[in-house]
Order: sequence, then C-alpha cells, then structure tokens
Amino acid sequence: MHFVIIGNGVAGIEAAFAIRDRLGPGEAKITVISDETDYFFSRTALMYAYMDKLDRRDLEPYERKVYAQKQIELVRGRVVDLDAAEASLRLQDGSTVAYDRLLLAVGAKPRMVPFAGLDEVEEGLVHFVSMQDLDECERLTWSTERAVVVGGGLIGVELVESLTHHGVEVTFLVREPWFWPAALGKEEAEIVAEHIREHGVDLRMEEEMSEIQVDDAGRVSGVRTNLGDEIPCQMLGVAIGVQANVEWLQGVSTPPAINRGVMVDRSFRTTLPNVWAAGDCVEVDVGRRPGLVETIWYSAKRHGKLAGLSMAGERVEYHPPLFYNSTKFFELEFTTVGDCVDVADGATTLFRKMPGKPISQRIVANERGEVIGFNMLGSRFDHRVLEQWIHDRRDLAWVQRHLQEAQFDVEFGRVPLSKMVEKEIA
Amino acid sequence: MRQKGTIGWLKHDITHRGVTAWALSAALFAFYVILYWTDWLDPVAQALHLGSKWTLYGLLYTIAITAGGIYVMRKYRHNKYQIVRTTVIIFVQATLAFSVPLILKFFNQPEVYLSYLWPLKIEYFYPSTIASWPLPFIIWSIAGSLLMVPLLATFFGKRWYCSWVCGCGGLANTAGDPFRQLSNKSSAAWKFEQYSIHITMLLSFVVTAAVVASFFIGDSSPMLQSAAGEMQSAYGFVVVAILSGIVGVGVYPIGGTRVWCRYFCPMAAVLGLVQKKGKYRITVKDNMCISCGLCSKYCEMGIDVRAYAQRNEDFTRASCVGCGLCEEVCPRGVLHLENSDKPRSGPQPLTIDALVDESWKDRHVSPHAEEKQESVISVNWN
Repeated sequence: MHFVIIGNGVAGIEAAFAIRDRLGPGEAKITVISDETDYFFSRTALMYAYMDKLDRRDLEPYERKVYAQKQIELVRGRVVDLDAAEASLRLQDGSTVAYDRLLLAVGAKPRMVPFAGLDEVEEGLVHFVSMQDLDECERLTWSTERAVVVGGGLIGVELVESLTHHGVEVTFLVREPWFWPAALGKEEAEIVAEHIREHGVDLRMEEEMSEIQVDDAGRVSGVRTNLGDEIPCQMLGVAIGVQANVEWLQGVSTPPAINRGVMVDRSFRTTLPNVWAAGDCVEVDVGRRPGLVETIWYSAKRHGKLAGLSMAGERVEYHPPLFYNSTKFFELEFTTVGDCVDVADGATTLFRKMPGKPISQRIVANERGEVIGFNMLGSRFDHRVLEQWIHDRRDLAWVQRHLQEAQFDVEFGRVPLSKMVEKEIA
Repeated sequence: MRQKGTIGWLKHDITHRGVTAWALSAALFAFYVILYWTDWLDPVAQALHLGSKWTLYGLLYTIAITAGGIYVMRKYRHNKYQIVRTTVIIFVQATLAFSVPLILKFFNQPEVYLSYLWPLKIEYFYPSTIASWPLPFIIWSIAGSLLMVPLLATFFGKRWYCSWVCGCGGLANTAGDPFRQLSNKSSAAWKFEQYSIHITMLLSFVVTAAVVASFFIGDSSPMLQSAAGEMQSAYGFVVVAILSGIVGVGVYPIGGTRVWCRYFCPMAAVLGLVQKKGKYRITVKDNMCISCGLCSKYCEMGIDVRAYAQRNEDFTRASCVGCGLCEEVCPRGVLHLENSDKPRSGPQPLTIDALVDESWKDRHVSPHAEEKQESVISVNWN
C-alpha cells in the first residue's frame, strides 16, 4: 500500500513515523512530498538560526540517515492537483503520483490583509514562518538600519528579537491595547512590554500600519501608521497570524470540504475517500461550531501521530488535551495552561508578582473556586502538574499552598514563592 | 552596508572552525609539545620566580580558568546553578590544584594534587608514588578513588567531579565555553565513544595492576618488571601526554572542549558506569519540546539531548557531565537536572534506532477510553 504525505513539517513526519511504526516496508511504501525543504526541520527554531545560535543543519531533529533506515522516501516537489476519484496527485513538474492513502499536512501560511501600498512592494516585506522566509530575512538584514514589525503575537516578537540581535532598530506595532491579549492578562503584558522595551525596541501599543511606502526600486522605505506617524524602514515584518494553507486545495480536481481549514473528523479523515489531513491546515469537527483550529507545534505533532495511526488502520479518536502553550519573550519564559483570559463572570484571579523582577504568576479560578488556568511568566513550571490540578478541580487556596511542587527552575535557582506579592483581581 | 552586530559569535571564524580556529589549535598543539618535550619554558618560569615550567603551566591554567570563569558567570548570570558551579571550579583550581601543592612543596612535602584521583592520575596508585607520601595523603587518595568517587557518583552522578572539581572539565567549562558547540553529535561518534572510553579505562586498570604486581613480585619475574615498566611509560606517553594534554586541549577550537573527557578519560568512564545506576538524571517535561535543537547544539559531550526531549523521555547518559547548559539554553524550560529516586519515564536503555521508534500501541492508550470503546485509541493527555 502506498502512503503519500504532502508536507514534511512536524505533522507530516510524525505521521510517516507512526505509519512505519505499525507497518513494515513490505506492507507500506511511504512517500513524503515537500516543496519547502529536503528534510524535516524545526519551524519553531527558525529564529535561532536567524540569530546564529544554530546552523541550518542543526534545525533538523533527526539524522538524515533515519529516513533511509525507516525507508521513508522524501520527494522535493509541489503538488498542484489532487484527484481523489483517480487516487492520484499531479506535481508542478508534470509528474503524477498514485496513492492508496493520502495525508494532507500542508501547514499554515502567513495571514495577509490588503494594506495600502502593498501592490507596489517588490522587496523588503517579510514573514517569518518558512525556510524561504529565513533566507529572505538573512538576505535583507545586511542592508537594513531600521525595521518595522507588525503584529503582537509570538512570531512577531521572535522576529523583533532576531532583528534586535543583529543591531537593527525595530519599531513594533501592536494593534491591541496590551501585548498578546489572546494569552496574557494586562498585568503580565505590562511586564513583557517593559522587558521588550528594555532591549531597545520601540514598542507601540494601539498603533496600526495604514500604508506601506516604497522607494523607486520597489523596496520598502517606510510605513505610515493610523496615528499619522511615518516610520522610515528598509524591512517590514508582517506577523499578523497564520491561516491554513488551503487556498490551492479549493482549485484541485476534487477539493475536500474546507472551512477555516480542511474539515476532518476526530480520526483526521477528510470528506474525500482515503484522504486524511492533520496539523495547522485542519479544522477538527469536535461536535461544536466552529470546529477546532490549533496552529501550534504541540498540536501538529499530536495530529500527525494520530493521523498516521488512523491511516495505518487503527481506530483513532482525537480528544484535544487541556490547552497549554509556551514561549519566550527575549529572556522571559512563559507557560500558559488552561483558561486565563476571556473567562466567565464570577471567576477570581490571583496575580502574584516578584517585586523588582519580571516574574509573575496568574492563577484563575471559576465561580466555584476551582482552578481553571495558569499564566507563569519568568520562571519555570511543570505544566503537567498544573494540568493535573485543573483536572482534579483543586481550589485556589490548595494550589497556593502547593505551588512550589510544580516549580521547574534550575537547581539553586528556585524562585522564592514566599517573597511574591499577591493581589486579587475581580 | 551595515556591519555592527551582524556576525553572531556562532558564525565567528574562531568558533566556527575557521582559519583562526585552526591557527589557535596549531598554537595550542605547539605549546603542549614545547611544554612536554623541551625545557624552553624553564627560563621563563625562573624569570618569573616560579621554580619550574610546571608551576608556570599551573599558573597559566589557573588564570585561564579564573578569567574564563568570570566570563561564564557573567554570561549565565541569571542561572544560579552555573554561578555556584563555576565558583566551585575556580575555587578548587586556585586551591587544591594550584596553591596547595605549591605550599606543600614549600614545606618540603610531596607535591600532591588533592583534586585529582586515580585512575585519572594513574600514578597515584603506583606503589613508588604512594611510598613517598605521608599517611593522610595515602588515605585520601585510596579512599577517594575507591569509596568517595563511586559513592558521590551514585547520589549526584558524575557531575560532582567532572563539572565541579576536575581541572580538565574546569577549563572546558570556563575558557572553553565559546567552543562547546563544536562537539560531534552524530550517532557514529556516540558509538566510537562507547568503545574508546572503555578501552582507555581497561588500559588504565591493566597498567595499574601490572605496575603494582611488578612492585611486589617483580624481583622474581624480570619479564613482568620490564613489561610493567614499558606499559607504564607507553600509557604515560599516549594517554597522559598525548590524549589528555595535547589532544584534550589542542582540539578545543576544532572538535569542542570535552574530547578527552568524552572519548578517553578513564575516570569519566568509571563515573559514567556508576552514574547509569545512580540517582542522577535529566528530567524532561512531557510534550513541551519544540525540537529546536539548542540543547543538542550546546552539549559539550555531543549528546543528542533533543532526541530524548522530543520523545518525552527522562534520561541518564553515561557521558553526561551535568554541566547544565542544555537546561540553560532550552527556550521552553523543558529540561531539569536532578538527583531523584522517582522512576524514570520512557523505555530504558535506548538504542540509536529506538530514538525514533515510538511504540504508541502500549503507551498512549487511555484506560478510560478502553472501558468505553474497545480498540479505540483515544488520546487525551489530561
């Protein structure tokens, strides 16, 4: 049986390994097609390559010989057509690939809106999600004195940090009233904003780009903001989110059902026969509307494994775990578990802050006093312990007493929790 | 064209196997050849009132560790583990490995380096050495090697020695820090290391046994006596001079800082074997790794830490010296060095192939799902 996987990101490769784990080379031929890179790389590590902390090769999580050992064939190419009736794919070079079972793990691409002046731009506008984006960023950095980054999310701050590392002066435009309101409360957002500013970044809240300006050669030369300010720059990073990379699928011979992503059930099957989908490109039907779109690394990894098992013949039922995520704002590590923002009325929030240091903890409890979410900034916590407490419906006072059991700081470096100042936020 | 800050230190010529790196390596090789096999440094030492070239070497070594240690403490100033560890390294080098032997010599006592033990200092078990020592030193040396080393390694792993006390590790973790990422991470290197380090360990045992035997029964067996003498000098030349000195430090700019420690040190081999059975391990936070690879990149022992982290597996590798840099560079705080009795997660031991083999059938079937619906793989990590 021929298993074909489109996309060699974490979902695609995890699926390939999961299939091979169940089916030997005699039972399953596995082909992975990608037009981005020859080998799977860690997308989350792009910024470390940009900052020269890693070489390109270091981004590859597996030794290259692993694919040969596991008999997974890697093909470089772009799929342009999918015909589910014929069970075949057509590649850009004209060749066709027949499959028995297909996985669409085509990921996400940067979201874009029609900014004024966008049509004039030939060069200088970058995103930061693909290997090609990294190439482009590295190429442009040398001739950049100032840059503007738009979008107050995780990719935006990664791009800002990388540019700052290279000595580029950065203006960071964030539309929202505080930094990353999708995950951060106002209090920790202020700590993060101050930390970003301490690195020399011109961080502006509630300011949006209204127009892109270009020079005679078509290179970005500046932006105008909605407050009328003009900021000269040679690079413009747009990081206003990502969306499923499904546009091309709408035009193929037999498109699968698509909403915000390829629609899949809990076993990652699409509406097409023998076609599965996983990772950032899917919307999982979990019995409510809209379905679940999870564009984070951990989810894609999980999706890939399960989709692979499903394709290999296992009965799979995906139940997304309690939400958690992690990131790093310059030196500040951040872990979030459960629900901390947009919580229902009646919730209580305990905010703990270390005086004089960018360390804080937000613990949110529902109207019954049961803990439902944690935001941990500037020190390390074991999210699995925090998850367990939410699962066990521990009350706020209990969690306060036991908080140190979830600490994960380095030896000798445990943050003294007793020195933190607490306040309750209604 | 802008220039400032554009070249990261990783891409710098000297830390990226560039021309200057090779030149520095050649200079280090030359220095060790001059030190070991010429007396050119003696006049320099005398001009500085240091007695011998070895005292001069000790002074240079101590300066390198102190200056490098200050650099490292600044670089990792937010990390208490690194601060405490580096402070101990500098202290041990300045006292036990440098000034104490000098003071002993001043009082006409044997020049004993209390921070080094057999089998790293193989001559500390030679009867001829022991015979010249006062009793307290003999007790320290023998009890240290046979009791303290395995006992402490059981509780704290090899790190208490390799990255807190030992001078070889001390230099690697201070002045050598900019070169740590050059270690070879391939599984082939891992395979080689498993052979080379245990072969050197066995050699050190055999040579020690031969020398001790020849001391006691050498008079009746001239053949043993001459064989032991030859083995002793061959080991001294190949292992002590070439591998620990010339290669160990000379290849810093080319092959990373722990080439001696990783591939050859007999002491590290013994400690590693104990460590595997002991309490020390690196704990991995489940499903939090983003596979970025910074841990593997900055592991001076060439351990592919990411391979364990991305499959959520706590681990203890014999070669891990517990420097804590993987834990330091991890952008998601996934790794934690600890001494613990808690059972490890994940299958042990690992083969190279197992690093990418994931047997999901047994591991992630939720018990609740099985009750409800047989043979449904329900993945719910809560």
